[in-house]
Amino acid sequence: MRSLLGVMLCAASAYAQFSAEEKQLDIASFEKVWTTIRDKHWEKNPGGLDWNAIHREFLPKIEQARSADEARDIMRQMLARLKETHFAIFPASVYSDVDVESAGDGSPGIDVRVLEKQAVVTGIDPGSGAEKAGVKPGWVIRSVAGKDLAPAIEKLTADPAIREITLERAISARLSGPVGGKLHVVFLDGANQSRALDLALGEPRGNPSKFGNLPTEYVWTESKKLGNTGYFRFNLFLDLLRVMSGFSDAVESCQHCDGLIIDLRGNPGGIGGMAMGMAGFLVAKPNQRLGTMYMRDTTLNFVINPRAGVFTGPVAILVDGSSASTSEIFAGGLKDLGRARIFGTKTAAAALPSVIEKLPDGDGFQYAIANYISEGGKALEGNGVTPDVEVGLTREALLAGHDPVVDAALDWIQKQRTNR
Amino acid sequence: MIRKLAWIAVIAAGGAWAAQQVETPAPKPPAAKSEDLPKADTILDHFIEVTGGKAAYEARKGEITTGTFEMAAQGLKGPMTAYAAPPDKSYSVMKLEGIGDIQQGTENGIAWDNNPMLGPRVKTGDEKAEALREAAFNGQVDWRSLYDKAETVGVDTIDGEECYKVVLTPAVGKPVTTWFQKKSGLAVKRATTAVTAMGEVPVEVILSDYKNLGGVLQPTKMVQKAAGQEVIISIASVKTEEIPADKFDPPAEVKAKLKQ
Repeated sequence: MRSLLGVMLCAASAYAQFSAEEKQLDIASFEKVWTTIRDKHWEKNPGGLDWNAIHREFLPKIEQARSADEARDIMRQMLARLKETHFAIFPASVYSDVDVESAGDGSPGIDVRVLEKQAVVTGIDPGSGAEKAGVKPGWVIRSVAGKDLAPAIEKLTADPAIREITLERAISARLSGPVGGKLHVVFLDGANQSRALDLALGEPRGNPSKFGNLPTEYVWTESKKLGNTGYFRFNLFLDLLRVMSGFSDAVESCQHCDGLIIDLRGNPGGIGGMAMGMAGFLVAKPNQRLGTMYMRDTTLNFVINPRAGVFTGPVAILVDGSSASTSEIFAGGLKDLGRARIFGTKTAAAALPSVIEKLPDGDGFQYAIANYISEGGKALEGNGVTPDVEVGLTREALLAGHDPVVDAALDWIQKQRTNR
Repeated sequence: MIRKLAWIAVIAAGGAWAAQQVETPAPKPPAAKSEDLPKADTILDHFIEVTGGKAAYEARKGEITTGTFEMAAQGLKGPMTAYAAPPDKSYSVMKLEGIGDIQQGTENGIAWDNNPMLGPRVKTGDEKAEALREAAFNGQVDWRSLYDKAETVGVDTIDGEECYKVVLTPAVGKPVTTWFQKKSGLAVKRATTAVTAMGEVPVEVILSDYKNLGGVLQPTKMVQKAAGQEVIISIASVKTEEIPADKFDPPAEVKAKLKQ
């Protein structure tokens, strides 16, 4: 009996000690969130609020919080006062699922999206391990390196703060490993049969590109003709010289095309100025702009500088939930100017450089540092670009070898040709 | 040359999405009464004297400046070369990894820029006026012809040194504020609102590390803050010699723009 009491006292003591440490971590997390917004929000008075008064109001609440969940809720209430999207706190358990580090540069060459809560192969890189192993668009990825994807997808899709692009990145990060290695992946094929394959991991598609402190990224472009319609796709607004040159060539070779399709699906952005530069090949009228970025001390207009040889035919831009940042600035601005018709699904609503940092208590804190208003007067942040024609990929279409989004764009371009 | 480089930060702002903001100025000490302050003419003329004198400036017929510029927070750095000649001819090129050659120039009343991201552009309005004014060769000596008004507006302390604050107002464009150290007479800070293709951008430049280059004292380190970006410009050498006139010819794509 006496020994049992001793155990209970020890347990109580340990609980009290843990709780005090946890409280300190929660307070430190609160201070980090509050200070970050004070120093980095694009308005000196964030959200038009007296931010010091916010501190006075919420600090006592954090100090009285009885659990990490309660402290997180209080911090979320504070962020809600901003009435702005892109300010969020992820629980540590979710953050660890989001913040999956790539196991290496090696890639099996699979483009993946989550469609109806399944990780579906939407594209295969030419010459990749996946292509050589016979993987097809429309196959479902069940597990990677022995780990089922379903639980992570279920958890991440259940959190409203996690967007499609974050989900896609978390899954893509799992599809990696050392170059030259193998990755064991279990698929559900087109006949819904389980297929276990060891995929060779090669260099990612494209050319390695370095821009300042950003990690080396592999950038690729794809330019082709679909009948008499030009098609240009690229995976990042980086590798400026190669991408701009490729786009310039695509436009130049398409002066007599019925239309031009620019595919930004899966493109998470990059150098913001490239949106202005590329728009210059599509907009002939001077003094037009894609939108305006508001920082704490500066307002920057994303002005379009018309180039020689502007393409004047119909322009279709394809987007999805993984089209973010510069992709949204480009697509949203050209839509607002009436220069392009947008096809696909709503974009990531992450036009700005939102940063996700780990808080002292292990939670993830996401915040934006500027505001961007597209030329139509709407903030892209949190809203994204809503397509003129909403059409998404389906597993069935992919298995049948179709891309419904490209098909919709081609149909529209053909109608424009007929109407002309 | 300093102002000619200002827009780089703005370009990069569109690309690198810098997180930091331009620093909030430190609280200033009470300004001295205007009757106690020396006239701006006196301060500006003293600056010419302490940096070499009018004759030293006027002996120069052209200038080739080499150096580097760096955006440390973004990890961007590259070499730069600038050419300048009377009366307001200029040409500069900066090579930035990941972006390419960023060129700009002025000649015969034309101001332009050209880079792989945005393409060729001919400047107009305040932006053009500002570019031509900044390109004025030996503009320090000829400030009376460039600005309508010069006024000493106060005394600020910068890096522990008292400085006269002088505002130069041009006929067209934004005023330029320059801080001159009381003790040395050297300009240690400039601030203006740069007119760029992307809008008006407050710019601050801290000038330091003066060295005798090409016969006159010039700052060899310039730390510029604009649009939340910090750019460090370091001058390695200045050669004074006549520059062949064709050096200032705009590139073909800019000439094509001029014809439009």
